[in-house]
Amino acid sequence: MPSTVTRRAFLGTSAAAGASLVVPFYLPGKSRAPKNPASSFSPNAWLDISSDGSVRIWCGKSEIGQGVRTSLPMIVAEELCCDWRSVQVVEADLDAKYGEQLTGGSLSVRTSYDNLRKAGAAARETLISAAAVEWNVVHSECHAANGSVTHTATARSLPYAQLILSAARLEPPANPALKKPEEFRLIGKPTLRTDTLQKVNGSALFGMDVRVPGMWIASVERCPVYGGTVRKFNAEKVRALPGVRAVIEVKPLHLTHQFGETSGPGSRNYSCAGVAVLANSAWAAIEARKSLEVEWDEGNWAQESTRSLREKMAQLTSLPAATIRSDGDFEKAHATAAKTIAAVYELPFLAHATMEPMNCTAHFHDGECELWAPTQVPGAAAESVRTALGIPREKIKLHITFIGGGFGRRLIQDYAVEAALLSRDAGAPVQVVWTREDDIRHDFYRPAAHHVFRAGFDARGNLIAWSHRACSPSIETFYNGTGISPQASAQVDTLDFPAPFIPNFRLEFAVAESGMPLGYWRSVDSSGNQFALSGFFDEAAHAAGRDPVEFLLATLGPARKIDLGQNRGTLDVMRRRRVIELAAEKSGWGKPLPGGAARGIGIGFGWGSFVAQVVEVSCNPSRGSIRVHRVVCAIDCGLAINPLGVEAQMQSAVNFGLAQALKSEITVSNGRVNQSNFHDYEVLRLSDAPAAIDVHIVPSTEAPGGCGEPGVPPTAPAVGNAIFAATGKRIRRLPIRAADLRSP
Amino acid sequence: MAISFTLNGTAKSVDVSPDMPLLWVLRDTLNMTGTKFGCGMALCGACTVHINGEATRSCITPISSVAGKKVTTIEGLSADGSHPVQQAWMEEDVPQCGYCQSGQIMSAVALLSKKPNPTDSDIDDFMSGNICRCGTYQRIRKAIHRAASMQAGKAKSAA
Repeated sequence: MPSTVTRRAFLGTSAAAGASLVVPFYLPGKSRAPKNPASSFSPNAWLDISSDGSVRIWCGKSEIGQGVRTSLPMIVAEELCCDWRSVQVVEADLDAKYGEQLTGGSLSVRTSYDNLRKAGAAARETLISAAAVEWNVVHSECHAANGSVTHTATARSLPYAQLILSAARLEPPANPALKKPEEFRLIGKPTLRTDTLQKVNGSALFGMDVRVPGMWIASVERCPVYGGTVRKFNAEKVRALPGVRAVIEVKPLHLTHQFGETSGPGSRNYSCAGVAVLANSAWAAIEARKSLEVEWDEGNWAQESTRSLREKMAQLTSLPAATIRSDGDFEKAHATAAKTIAAVYELPFLAHATMEPMNCTAHFHDGECELWAPTQVPGAAAESVRTALGIPREKIKLHITFIGGGFGRRLIQDYAVEAALLSRDAGAPVQVVWTREDDIRHDFYRPAAHHVFRAGFDARGNLIAWSHRACSPSIETFYNGTGISPQASAQVDTLDFPAPFIPNFRLEFAVAESGMPLGYWRSVDSSGNQFALSGFFDEAAHAAGRDPVEFLLATLGPARKIDLGQNRGTLDVMRRRRVIELAAEKSGWGKPLPGGAARGIGIGFGWGSFVAQVVEVSCNPSRGSIRVHRVVCAIDCGLAINPLGVEAQMQSAVNFGLAQALKSEITVSNGRVNQSNFHDYEVLRLSDAPAAIDVHIVPSTEAPGGCGEPGVPPTAPAVGNAIFAATGKRIRRLPIRAADLRSP
Repeated sequence: MAISFTLNGTAKSVDVSPDMPLLWVLRDTLNMTGTKFGCGMALCGACTVHINGEATRSCITPISSVAGKKVTTIEGLSADGSHPVQQAWMEEDVPQCGYCQSGQIMSAVALLSKKPNPTDSDIDDFMSGNICRCGTYQRIRKAIHRAASMQAGKAKSAA
């Protein structure tokens, strides 16, 4: 692709397909507005229509399982009026022209939708103009359909492929007419994914499957305490083992912030110190590593434990913390309330545990570094590698592979830095392969947290006072340093439910210092916060003697839009009410269930989408067993591009949320993670998965919202609330333990 | 010492350490990367292959134990996705990230060869050794039922 900065279409060529019409366009990378809304047109994506009829989208979105190779072509083909299966997303190699190439934040469709449509429509209109010139008729007498332009009156028709040369001489319209939603033929239709064949015949190439001639495989023993360093190790002995080529120390290096913020003083995002064993096969490297003896300087956090952090968070939440939001007068309202309740909720650290362990392949030679990286942020990977190697950015070439799960883990670039350093030091191409043990013990974890709630009701059982004091290690402090404001460090949402709906409301947050590496775990803060919020809200409903669904709707109040002030937009109560009502209706809320089963509801709003879930569980408290039978998930994600993809993301999110509810926990002793593999860091298995996850999508023409994350937060509280309904035992910590079903 | 076995119908001989797991022989020696590394302890099923028709975790299977046996990997089912289980997987739109799916499919094929018409409970029992972190479990159940009826239909039309 030429990096032409013009809106003009141009003629491209490719070895495979000959001439092509190229339409440049722009895809915003982040939800935040750019600092300088460019007055000049600066494309970072290209639509390319070839003379063989194929259409390609060149852009910086990675396929991490969320289906962008299906949804993005559907959007383009809708406006381009062609077979969507002829449209491919080119997994763009890293290049500055694609912008930051971030795949995260449930943003892929959200930020691409408008401009992909415009690009498709601009190409369509240009092709129509070219045909009109060809036939010497006016543009409005022609229409496009099925990859051809037709002169309506005479039924003359030309396929796009034959119009490319003439269209390339024309200026595509800047604001082409877009289809009305009722004219959509593809958008909104359940559509099978395009990448399935490669994933069922073994040919999809993941990062771990990259093979570079002459490549060595590295297995790295990392300091068990994050932030520690290497003192000495037995290189000679290990070097002599079968298949071993080298034993090399890996220095910890600072990682470029994945979202582009400056890492200020006190930021702690480093790759791990370690010692790498490089061998001629992964197995030889992993085996030889067992003979490695490393003496570590374990640094400042070798005394930390789950217990010490828990005590610290309990202590911090017993004192006033930084006020993040305050409305009315909580203490006064609480003191005069007709009834009050209080509770403490606790959450553990969590690992991502993507099925493909971390890995990266690098080849450093002649001052250049080529990388094959399964990463969600190629730009940050290249930037981290640039800093690590001290070479110019243009000397770094980065290829994106299929990615065996992201969930936020692959926003961080430690594996890329390791591969680049080792290739440089070994003088050979190197693939760093993490074992599962490495992956579980050296993650960037969802922070553990402690939430203290107090609430007060009036005589009619309405909530009049709500206090939420939260405490956890701070992801933002970890990446941005200690000099940021309490508001910036806080991991709580000040704008959403129930904050704007309770007259006397107070939200406080205390940062608990911890040595643990922290990161973004699918749905980030909401993953834990919503368990606490939806759980305590359910407690409030029961304390008020009200039905939880009725109480949610009553607290939200009538459908309306609330101005959040300070240019923060509006809060649409109707969309929140509607998913709660839909989930309640479809689940048969209020109707009895057989065999002692019961329902619970959880909600979660964010990423431009609204989700409510009702979970049906039954428990056997004496055996400590919990069975989740069915989950009903209602989502309003605005316009659903591919309902089949939305359903897949919701089912995925629910199962991810169930793992959090029922299975997963990272604990720490002596600064070390105790878990190591799937026997002690458990995730959901098929036998635990509900028989049905029924997904109901609210019909909508609102702008598309995100789908990767918003389905996760409601699940765990819905399970906890259902257990309360079934047994009268309130679940206030995750994962749910057998003992929690029995304790009073 | 060379170890010989049959891989997807073709005779293979490898000269590697006898305790090297089949997984790494496939991936690193034979460059057959469809079989995935997930845990190294037979806990996740990503490395599942068939040895003489039995679903086996290749990550803990020493290559010496494979001598003289028939190994089938995901690449041996079909390249064009024509195997009924692959077809069912495509029709039910099962894979998300796709990393675990080679192992899921190899387990499902083995299950169906033992129980051509499995119940949900049979599926839960047999497939629980295969983790999918994307949570495609509901679609996996559906796809196995679909493959079962496809195979039953085939058997009927052949009869």
